[in-house]
Amino acid sequence: MENKVAIVGVNLDSALDIEKSRERLIFDLVRGLMDDLGIEPTDVDTTIFATNDFLVGRTISNVFEDSPAGVYMRDESKVEMDATNAVMYGTMRILSGNYQTALIVSQGLCGHQVSPYLHISYSLNPIYDRQLGLLNELSAAAFQARDFLTKYGFGDDLMHAIAANSLANAALNPRQARQLPDISPQQVSESPYYYEPLRELHCYPPTDGGCAILLASAERAKELTDKPVWILGLGSSMDTYYIVERDLTVAPSATKAAKRAYEMAGISDPAREICFAEIAALFAHQEPILAEALGLMEASDAAEKYQSGETAIDGKLPINPSGGALGGHPIPATGGFRVAEATLQLRGEAGKNQVKDPKRAVVLGQDGICAQQNSVLVLGI
Amino acid sequence: MEETRTVSAQWELSTYKFRIEGGGLQLMLRGMKEGRFKGVRCHKCGFVYLPAPFYCRKCYIKIHEPVDVDDHGTIMSYTVVMSDIRGNPMEEPQISLMVKLDGCDSWIMGTLKGKDWRDVAIGQRVKIKWAEQRTGTLQDMECFVPAED
Repeated sequence: MENKVAIVGVNLDSALDIEKSRERLIFDLVRGLMDDLGIEPTDVDTTIFATNDFLVGRTISNVFEDSPAGVYMRDESKVEMDATNAVMYGTMRILSGNYQTALIVSQGLCGHQVSPYLHISYSLNPIYDRQLGLLNELSAAAFQARDFLTKYGFGDDLMHAIAANSLANAALNPRQARQLPDISPQQVSESPYYYEPLRELHCYPPTDGGCAILLASAERAKELTDKPVWILGLGSSMDTYYIVERDLTVAPSATKAAKRAYEMAGISDPAREICFAEIAALFAHQEPILAEALGLMEASDAAEKYQSGETAIDGKLPINPSGGALGGHPIPATGGFRVAEATLQLRGEAGKNQVKDPKRAVVLGQDGICAQQNSVLVLGI
Repeated sequence: MEETRTVSAQWELSTYKFRIEGGGLQLMLRGMKEGRFKGVRCHKCGFVYLPAPFYCRKCYIKIHEPVDVDDHGTIMSYTVVMSDIRGNPMEEPQISLMVKLDGCDSWIMGTLKGKDWRDVAIGQRVKIKWAEQRTGTLQDMECFVPAED
C-alpha cells in the first residue's frame, strides 16, 4: 500500500497523575494538534475515538468526548479497543475515498481514576473464571512469564534486562509517564513482587494520558506537512479469550497480523528491512514474544539480544526506543502512543530517543489477556 | 480557573443474570459432585475441553461426546501471588497453578497446597483434593496437592 494514507500530525501527553480532567486533556491534545497543523475542526472529515467505557465510568462515553475533540455537527465513530485499531479504521475510511482526513483520539485515566487491572477482571467469563477467582491480568501475565522463562531456560535476569532497556529509554523521553533516571537491571530486580516472577518494574505503571493523531490522503497530506509518514501496511488478528487453550509462549495472532501488514508493505525480511519497532509489551517478557511474532528475532536468542545492547536506541534493531508500555500504559491509547512515537522517530523528531536515520518501522498494539488481540502497522517515509 | 478537583463516585450496578449453556459446565459440575471430571471431546479435531463449550472453538462445529478426565495432572505454569490485584500484600504467598489434567487438552486453574512456593516447578505432578461435602459447584475442587505417581 504505497503512499496512500499518511500520518500528518501527532500530539501526546501522559503522566502517572496528569492533574487534568478528561475533557481538558482531550481539548489540549486536539486543539494543540490543530494549532500545530494550522487547521480547524472543519478540516477534519471524520473523528475516530479509541476509549474504554469501563475505565471512563460511563457507557457510550465518546458522546461526552466529542465536543472537547472539536466534534460538533460532524462525523464521529469509536472503537472499544486499542488505538491502533482506530488508526486502522481511520485509514480504511480514507482509502474508501469518502474522507480526506481522519482524526484519531484516544485517552485513558488509569493513573488516578480507577485501577487499570480491573478492566480485565470485569472482562472475565462471569460464570467460570470469575467464580474461580484465580484469573486476572497479573496472574495471567505471570503464568505467561513463567512458561516463557522455562521454555528457553532463561532466568529472571532476562526480565530485568528487558525492563531496564525500556525504562532507561522512557527516562530520556519527556512524553513518558514513568521516569526512573539511572535505572539498572539490579534496581528492577529489587522492586517488589506482585505475582512471582513478575515484579513491579516488569509491569506497566497505572498511567493517565492520551494522544491525537491526524491521518490524511496523499493529496491532503501534501498541503498539511512536509514530513508525511506513510501507513504502508496493516493487519490484525484475534486469538481465543481462553488462555487455558493457548500456548502462552508464542503469539500466533501477532504473527498473522504481521504477515498481512508486511505483505501489504512489500516487506519480506522484516529483521533486515525494519529499522526499529514500537511494541506495546505490557509486561517485560511479552517484548521478545511479540518481537518474535513480528519476525524481528528468535525468542530463544532474547538473552543475547538484550544483554548485547542490540535492542537499545543505538543498537542494530532498537525495540521500544520510546520506552514502550513499561514507560506508560494509558489504556487504550497505548498503541496510539506507539504509532505517535514511531512517527516522531521517522520524522527525526524523537529527541534523545532518536534512532539513527530510520526509514521503516513496525508498530504493534494489543488488547485482552496475554495479548489476545494484536494489530500491526508498518510505517515508512 | 485552573484548579482541578477530584470527586469520588460509585456505581450501583444492576444484578446481571448470566444464563449458563447446559452442556459443558453442567456436565463438569455434575461430575464434580461425584468427585470426578467430565469433559467433552471434539469429534473432528479431538480436542478435549473442560469445562466444554457447546461447540469447538477451533473447528466451529457443535460437540457432544462426553469423556472422562483424570483428577491427576501436570503443572504447565504457576505463579506465586505475593499481593492481590489491588496491590495489598498477601499474609501468606498463595500458589496458583495451570494444570493439564490427564486426558484433557484445555488446562485448569487451581491453588496448590502442601508445598513451599520455592519448590514448585513446571512438569511436577499434582492431583485434586476434593471437598468432603460436595454440592456440584466449583468449590468442590478444594485445591491441588502434590501427587506421587
